[in-house]
Amino acid sequence: MNQEFLPTDHCLKCNICTASCPVASVTDRFLGPKAVGPQAHRFQHPHYELPDVSEEWCSSCGTCTLVCPHDVPVAEMIAKMKERPNREASWRDRIISRPEMLGRLATRFASIVNPLINSSRVRAALERYFGISSKAPLPTIARTSLNKSLRDYYVKSPNRLEEISRLTVGYFHGCSTNFFEPMLGELAVVILESLGLYVFLPPQVCCGLPLQSNGLFDAARKLANKNIKLLTPFLREKIPIVGTSPSCMLAFKHDYRAILGIDTEESNLLANSTYDFFEFILQFVPEEVNRISYRKVVAHALYHPPCQLRGHGIGTPALTILRRIPGLQLEVSDFACCGVAGTYGVKSERYQVAYAVGEQLFQKALAMNVDFIISDSETCRWWISKHTKLPAYHPLEIMARSMGIIT
Amino acid sequence: MPSLSTELLVIGAGATGLGIAWDACLRGIKVVVVDQSNIAQGTSGRYHGLLHSGGRYAVTDPISAQECASENSILRRIIPHAIEDTGGLYLALRTDPADYAHEWQRACQEIGIDVEPQSLDQVLRREPALTKSISQAFQVNAASLDSFDLLNSLSHSIRKTGGQVLLHHRVNEFIIEDNTVVAAELVSELDQTTMQIGAEIFINAAGPWSDQVAALAGVKIPITHSKGTMIAMANRLTHTVIHRCRPPSSGDAIVPAGSVMIIGTTDIPVSSANDLPIKPSEIDFLLDQGEELIPGFSNRRPLRAWSGIRPLYNPLHDDMNSTRGISRSHVLINHAETDGISGLASIFGGKLTTFRLMAQRVADFVAQELQIDDQCCTDTVPIEPEEKEFIILSNRTTRLLPSENNARDSVICECENVRRSEIEAYIQSSDHFELDNLRCTTRLGMGPCQSAFCSVRATGIAFSSYETEDLLIDLTSFIDRRWRGTSLLAWGQSMRQIVFSRRLYLELLGIQQVSGDKS
Amino acid sequence: MTDILIIGAGLSGLFASILAAKRNADVTLVSAGHGGLSISHGCIDVWSKATSSLSLSRLKKNHPYRIAGKRALNIAMEAFEDIMHDASYPFSGSLSKQLFIPTAIGSLHCTAYAPISLAHSQMTKGTPIAIASIAGLRDCFPEMLVKNLRSNGYLVERSISLSLPGSEPYRDLYSTDLAYRFEDSAYRDQIAQLWKPRLSGIHCLGIPAILGIELFEIPTPPPSLPGLRLEQVLFSTAAHFGVNIILGSSAIGRIDRSRKLKRVSGITLQTPSNSRQLKAQKVILATGGFLHGGLIAHRDGSIQESVFNLPIDYPENRKALLAPSLFDKQPYEMHGVRVNSRMQPLDLKGEPVYENLFSAGGIIAGADRQSEGSRQGIDLATAQRAVEAALE
Repeated sequence: MNQEFLPTDHCLKCNICTASCPVASVTDRFLGPKAVGPQAHRFQHPHYELPDVSEEWCSSCGTCTLVCPHDVPVAEMIAKMKERPNREASWRDRIISRPEMLGRLATRFASIVNPLINSSRVRAALERYFGISSKAPLPTIARTSLNKSLRDYYVKSPNRLEEISRLTVGYFHGCSTNFFEPMLGELAVVILESLGLYVFLPPQVCCGLPLQSNGLFDAARKLANKNIKLLTPFLREKIPIVGTSPSCMLAFKHDYRAILGIDTEESNLLANSTYDFFEFILQFVPEEVNRISYRKVVAHALYHPPCQLRGHGIGTPALTILRRIPGLQLEVSDFACCGVAGTYGVKSERYQVAYAVGEQLFQKALAMNVDFIISDSETCRWWISKHTKLPAYHPLEIMARSMGIIT
Repeated sequence: MPSLSTELLVIGAGATGLGIAWDACLRGIKVVVVDQSNIAQGTSGRYHGLLHSGGRYAVTDPISAQECASENSILRRIIPHAIEDTGGLYLALRTDPADYAHEWQRACQEIGIDVEPQSLDQVLRREPALTKSISQAFQVNAASLDSFDLLNSLSHSIRKTGGQVLLHHRVNEFIIEDNTVVAAELVSELDQTTMQIGAEIFINAAGPWSDQVAALAGVKIPITHSKGTMIAMANRLTHTVIHRCRPPSSGDAIVPAGSVMIIGTTDIPVSSANDLPIKPSEIDFLLDQGEELIPGFSNRRPLRAWSGIRPLYNPLHDDMNSTRGISRSHVLINHAETDGISGLASIFGGKLTTFRLMAQRVADFVAQELQIDDQCCTDTVPIEPEEKEFIILSNRTTRLLPSENNARDSVICECENVRRSEIEAYIQSSDHFELDNLRCTTRLGMGPCQSAFCSVRATGIAFSSYETEDLLIDLTSFIDRRWRGTSLLAWGQSMRQIVFSRRLYLELLGIQQVSGDKS
Repeated sequence: MTDILIIGAGLSGLFASILAAKRNADVTLVSAGHGGLSISHGCIDVWSKATSSLSLSRLKKNHPYRIAGKRALNIAMEAFEDIMHDASYPFSGSLSKQLFIPTAIGSLHCTAYAPISLAHSQMTKGTPIAIASIAGLRDCFPEMLVKNLRSNGYLVERSISLSLPGSEPYRDLYSTDLAYRFEDSAYRDQIAQLWKPRLSGIHCLGIPAILGIELFEIPTPPPSLPGLRLEQVLFSTAAHFGVNIILGSSAIGRIDRSRKLKRVSGITLQTPSNSRQLKAQKVILATGGFLHGGLIAHRDGSIQESVFNLPIDYPENRKALLAPSLFDKQPYEMHGVRVNSRMQPLDLKGEPVYENLFSAGGIIAGADRQSEGSRQGIDLATAQRAVEAALE
């Protein structure tokens, strides 16, 4: 019980986390990461229930853990408090936390679903009966999912890769790229191949992060264990996994162990073999990356590092590439979180707060008069784009443009 | 000189003294209790937190064990709000003498102490933090008793029943006429004024200071002082009292107390009531003992260390090497019989778990002397608390957010969830504001940050009700006391806390300036 | 491979990263968390507490000011002022004069440079002032402020309690909560309407630091806004000059064993998931003292430098690290890494341990920063000198 939170001892109550919490600064409904995390933890008892400590307001952006100088896993402690049995979750939460299921259904009926999602009547009904804010952006469904367009890239077992002499890497697409933005996945594969890598798609399921964020840990663990099982054979052959969605990658690198509590040889192997796209290419093929010649992309852009990317603890590797692109005038957002934090901002009871968290970022983007937003996380892109009316791209897309792969 | 007259004057407002006064009040005796300091500054306030099951003394001191066992159930009846029923486990480790556990079990059974053998599996399921190298385990009826709550409740109940509790008044002279103590002269610790209290009977229940009080009447008492050191760990590692099942020795009990866990204790003969300094070796020893029961214990964060002085009865004055073997039984010395001084009796020894029983014996004696027939009823009459929230863990976390019928109540001590309303209630009922007493009453400042934030907040709240100079002096002395309790633990995370607090106080707040201290 | 790797994002690390980036070095800043700025008053103490003014020649030879040199201190302060000016967060002050800033309890903190909103309190000595407390702000002690400021010679007429618009908050507010609300101009208008009538007859208002406008502000207990603002300005400036900031990962030093020369090759970066190598030409260690883990005090009494295991002096007995009273001078303040005039950590013989390792800030031995009131001045001066030496 208390052993796993040895670092609770570490909290000095210095309030550095509270000072940095984007949610606490915009709402007094949230007691603050210190109060909800290490402080409340001291009062946990197997027989007595902890009263309402407002943990549902935490967006899990992870900023508190990041800034804590004393190794207190504040965000992880709070995330664990959200765990609840399936029956206690609302239908809405049970559904929005399953993007793979939603995506599969939706792509079949994309031509119907897309206009429906954009209809204000449908959105009003969704808000009224389902608790999805009509103001929150929802993704556009792709007609052809990535797993269809790239189905030839799937490799079931590492035996198939034995004869490949090039550096091999498995691409984890995640639900969003698969069902909503398949072009990103295609670009990722093209770029990796152009850097001399052999790319394949390993068998994979949803990373489970939305389930975890909604407290449905048992279901999240099922998916986590499934991914671990599917990927381990490749990992044992020292084949790394790369992704373009920093949230999925963070789940592999960190959440499976630190929040879902899956601490096995395999989960550790996965954590050690997972990379963010830009982290990967800079580390594994630096010479090829240095040889890229970039065409001009004349634009003024604001790069917003997603909170999930900051959680990787690797800084902002995409910036290293973006800075090499001639003509690109870059601003860097120093806001810890844009507000949406995955499924958080989409919920009608959280929308106001999520909007308030991002408000200054939106205002800054508009004041700077930038042409577009760049961000690695899909939910950040949709959210910032919706609220600034500016286009938003994954850094990959800008890189691909500069490499002449797309226009 | 102002004076007061009463039937019974009890010197010492620890558990014993207050217990005696309570018993006497219920018998209709006019009582005044005096104490040189504030509540809980003596041995009772430096306590391990353990409501004994009796098991500890089953083999070595069966009388004490029996007394503990029966008092255990009585206390649960009369002061349930101060007790958290954690239950207790006696654990014999593989390295402990194997036959002791059997002997112990048999001794408990003979005395009638409930002992239930547990399997390793049961024990580890209940408390996963424990070591696996347990050879035998037993469940007992131990619990966690909050002495601050006990003392405050006793004090409150005494006052409600017509008794007087006079704090900050030290006896500095006895007025003896015809070999009879007729009055005591007291001096106030706060303003140095003197007063006199006349009484028919004087009971010396001054704990470790009993010999000093006795000396005022020209008598000696066979008391030995034994220092016990304890460490509070920042977090609970178990929710059950853990005892080591071996011949009673030092550092063999770990007690959950409020939001912390206390390990203790040592047993070092000292020469006086004020000999409290703790050596690093005692700290290291206790942490190592804890490590044997809970792996990783010595790497957990210790919050503070303190010591209390046990006043033990030792008729064999020459055995000073260990006080461990001395009976914990209490002794009542009627000085009329032993020294020819009438009207004075001294009570000392014993342990907090049996305070009521000790008090009963003294009150029986007093009743006899005063020729009063009323019998003791403290075993059935509950000790009422003041209207306030209690410190038991489960209650600490109520009302973090406002509800419909409860307006928001500012959280002053965030570590222990102490509210502004509690501090205001304290101010209402106290002529004299002392942060350390506020701490004992509410647990303010007893959490991980050791009052880094709340000491100043509480002082700020008190500022309009008391002399500001006094408040500022009290603030600086309080935070210095907190410092002294933590400075023995200057490593790891505790070191960081010490450095943090000091930076906050001296660099950000500039506290050293306001009380006239040199910076 | 980065040119300069700086470990620690406290005042000295952040400042060093900006200085180096401004000189066109490729800089990476790694930190396991934030530093102590949000626990500080956000001012620059150069030589505050000691009664005599700062005369470098009178300091002990191993005092960081003496080692860094007067020149470095002067340049550092100029550079600091420039950076703050460019960030529209100007400071007031100089090396030759003391400023006195009220603290949250009304004592006076002596400093050399303070942000304008705090320094403004200097103008008010002699003019009647009122002290404002804000409803819901827990760490606000108006009566204490009034009493102690009066004892310190301020003409405090009275304290006033100002309420906030809107409904009663659900919890106690921190200074950051209020600061955020005040960013909204509509909210400020509401405040103006609500407060204006209460402020008639008041010439100057002392208020907990949340506004950042021309009033005189008082730093609160943590989170302290002036400290946070300074931290934010430094982070933004560093990012603006292209410093690659890696937050949330810790560093384990790596020694370059490939050559005969004693060099460090960089660090192992311990991210939340795994570890990877970060190579660097030069490394500046700015991890601070005990508070944030630059130095670790062990139970056996030893003191360890946490990244490279550099040699540290420590007393024989653990007890000797602390003095009996909190108010005494504390031996622990003096411990740390010894450096030479190039800010290179030294071994017990006085030789640099690694030729490409430098050090700045709180981790350097030889100064009782609390008693001297020299914490931030040492941070800046040593950072300046370390960057100079690293880029030579």
